[in-house]
Amino acid sequence: MVARPGEPGHTRSTRRLNEPRDALVAADRGVPAEVGRVPVSLVREEWRIVDRWWTERPVRRRYFDLVLETGQNVVVFSDEQGRWFSQRA
Amino acid sequence: MCSCRTCVPMIACLSLPAFELRTALLARPELHGKRVAFGPVPGERPLLGSCTYEAEQAGVWPGMRLSEALATCPDLVLVEQDPAGAEEEWERLLRRLEDAGFAVESAGVGSAYFETDGVERLAGGLQQSLRRALDAVGPTWQPRIGAATRRFTALAAASVAPAGRVVVVDDDESQLFLEPLPLSLLSRTPDRKRELSELGIKRLGELARLPAVSVADRLGADGVEAHRLARDEDARGVRSRHPASELAEELEFPEPIANEQTLKRALAALLDRLLARPERAGRAPRQLALSARLVGGGSWRRALTLREATADPERLGLALTPKLNEVPAPALTLRLELGELKDSVGTQAELVAPRGSRLRERLREGLRQVRAAAGLDAVCTIVEVAPWSRVPESRAILVPRDD
Repeated sequence: MVARPGEPGHTRSTRRLNEPRDALVAADRGVPAEVGRVPVSLVREEWRIVDRWWTERPVRRRYFDLVLETGQNVVVFSDEQGRWFSQRA
Repeated sequence: MCSCRTCVPMIACLSLPAFELRTALLARPELHGKRVAFGPVPGERPLLGSCTYEAEQAGVWPGMRLSEALATCPDLVLVEQDPAGAEEEWERLLRRLEDAGFAVESAGVGSAYFETDGVERLAGGLQQSLRRALDAVGPTWQPRIGAATRRFTALAAASVAPAGRVVVVDDDESQLFLEPLPLSLLSRTPDRKRELSELGIKRLGELARLPAVSVADRLGADGVEAHRLARDEDARGVRSRHPASELAEELEFPEPIANEQTLKRALAALLDRLLARPERAGRAPRQLALSARLVGGGSWRRALTLREATADPERLGLALTPKLNEVPAPALTLRLELGELKDSVGTQAELVAPRGSRLRERLREGLRQVRAAAGLDAVCTIVEVAPWSRVPESRAILVPRDD
């Protein structure tokens, strides 16, 4: 649906909205304990996404909706390689 | 149309068709009566600009592809666009109208509105005051004036007036007058015009007869505005400009300059010179115009209005510098004008929020300023492409707005 940079059909000016951003997450057995050095107070929800498995770029993510000790609400996910990203769900 | 009228303020619309082309031809009298058109702007699509009457008679029209035009009319003469020259000439004409006592609002080069009631007493009546305006402009430009109690009707009247003549539309016959006129007067977007045409609506009267609710449902806010104008319900008045107060400086280069860095330095020097001028007397400009004379005889001009008047050279530089990227050819001169000089005063918030066309106009201007400062891709619309997708970043994309 969305053209990626370098692929045919990509235009310089069109951008994807809500791209994942790198996040600094310290995890304890796969569950975030700190995000950006701020301890996690509560895991509100956890869910998985498995999509585009029929393509060369399958999406497998484990999402966490978290409340930090500062009261901030964040959503982070880890991908197959164990990298962490933040994103508005 | 009618000389009798009740005592309501009349709005007059002055129209000078093909004004820019006429300005460009002033310096080339040998082309008088020839098939002439504006050539394409360098770097843009190869389409013709305005054409003379003789060229249109030969089958050429504005917006035609250059190759097609030259095949249709092999002796067509192309001239370079000269927006800076046209702007200067237009300013001269506006000042002549102001000297004749009219408080004018410029609606772009070649079109202006003014109210007549202030001058009517001096001139001895409506017709006499309009004649005075025609005389102020002079016959060279083949001016035509339409007058009515509504602004849009005045524009429509000017569009049907013969050169050098006046058409006055009385209030009680304005709807009849508008009825047979083409929708092109509404200056809608090409898509909207096509949509109306496909619906079988070609005349203002046909649009006016439609129920307002149906128009709003089918065509949205844009259609409601058009419907209102077609029904002669234009409530806009004339917002006459303040007497022009301008400072200008020009730099002439020893050789044509295309280098951006050199142009930037020249711009900085012009800014310094202008801000140091004693006539400025501490006042800050709100309007800026940057123009250049180009190699080959053409010219380039960009005008911008700041949200707030400022004399801060850094902010002025930030607003003007991106414009230098748009200079289409090496420049022989660079000129900077500061307009609408104002004393620094506190800002007054609005009591009543602007609505309708005025609000849209402001939004457009705001978006234009954001683009000028942050680049063409800075203002985007969110377009949902797969709102059902489980992957959040696949649901919507940002697409730059064109308006």
